[in-house]
Amino acid sequence: MFNPLRLGGASSSAEPLRVLADEELMQLIYRSNADAFEVVYDRHADAAFSLAYRMCAQRALAEDVVQEAFLSLWHSRARYDRHRGSVRTWLLGIVHNRAIDALRRRSVRDRGVIAEEGIEERLEAPERTDLEVARREEAREVRSALDELPDEQSRVIELAYFGGMTQVQIASMLDTPVGTVKGRMRLGLAKMRMSLGDPAEVLP
Amino acid sequence: MSSQESMRPPGCEENAAPYVLGALTEEEHESFVRHLASCAVCREEVAALQLVVDALPAVAPPRSAPSPLKRQVMAKVRAEAAAAGAPAPRRSPLRSFSWRPAVGVAVAMAGVIAIAAIALSGGSSGPANKVIKAQVTAPRASALLRLSGGHAELDLANMPQTEPNRVYEVWVKRSGAPQPTDALFTVTSKGAATVGVPGSVSGVKEILVTSEPVGGSRVPTRTPVIVANLS
Repeated sequence: MFNPLRLGGASSSAEPLRVLADEELMQLIYRSNADAFEVVYDRHADAAFSLAYRMCAQRALAEDVVQEAFLSLWHSRARYDRHRGSVRTWLLGIVHNRAIDALRRRSVRDRGVIAEEGIEERLEAPERTDLEVARREEAREVRSALDELPDEQSRVIELAYFGGMTQVQIASMLDTPVGTVKGRMRLGLAKMRMSLGDPAEVLP
Repeated sequence: MSSQESMRPPGCEENAAPYVLGALTEEEHESFVRHLASCAVCREEVAALQLVVDALPAVAPPRSAPSPLKRQVMAKVRAEAAAAGAPAPRRSPLRSFSWRPAVGVAVAMAGVIAIAAIALSGGSSGPANKVIKAQVTAPRASALLRLSGGHAELDLANMPQTEPNRVYEVWVKRSGAPQPTDALFTVTSKGAATVGVPGSVSGVKEILVTSEPVGGSRVPTRTPVIVANLS
């Protein structure tokens, strides 16, 4: 789980905590332990930034979203409940919400088209841990499940989840009734669930 | 899910999928959360679909978070940890039910709904779920107070940065003078912050925010920069 290549800028006081699971770290973070928070940041910052950048397509905006999300996690630390899901899922949910807010603010204010900026995709390094191997396999499976959907279903899911568009905006853009958009979303997600099997075993 | 169609109550707008995908407007979202309190079919559907949506971030092409970002985040976190003197935030028994991870909550929905239903039905001593626009002294800044399940969360935008060696502090005012909380915070470079107000808002008339020296104060030393009136 601990990748020594990712230690740039890490404080030495955080090192002993890297053996702990996220849920154990959250107990320390609850007591305002910044070192424990740093370990959680190191574990999940790339995933958070990847999602934010996929949604915002702008480096500065994605950075703001990730910063807001981590600070929100810090400020809301008293409300974490391990029985409600993993820390990673919680964090990525916050990132998603913040990115949607940012995209919708931007669409009202600027109404402009943001060009994709030149951030290179990270070259996939060889997997170093079992968790990395599992995560990469999960990514392949989810991508495959999305790709197997009819275009009309995968498109509304991607426009909503990654594009931050409301169902009404999607309906207008596709010149399709809102009810049809809802139906495509529901059918697409239900099919993905079938393809993925029981995803109850969510990776930490 | 087709077997569930006949069980859908009248007025069900089949918003479970748009809900978990974050494709509802704020008004639709609030309306659907209220609907969930009374619709077991939608609750079940949300829980099932949320599991798929939770996996969607894996599809995003992998990228490395920029190093300066970590420095910015950790500088704020360490400053706030030092300012707080590392005390544990207060946690009420209901608090653990109130965190809302995303537009789609799903797995946690049953507990949230139970509390929301109590608040909406008037069975709670605190205010029902609603959003209050707070008064803010700073031009362009905005502050929304979200009430849910007897607790409150401040959502701030375009707030000025705190001065050196100062932090924002949240106060709650019931009948007497404002009482301090352990919610001390700073804002992002864009002036944004989301801050949970510790404890229940039962009986609270106002929630205030002032700028205080690092470590916070026991009584406000400056006039409030945010005032949210709950009464």
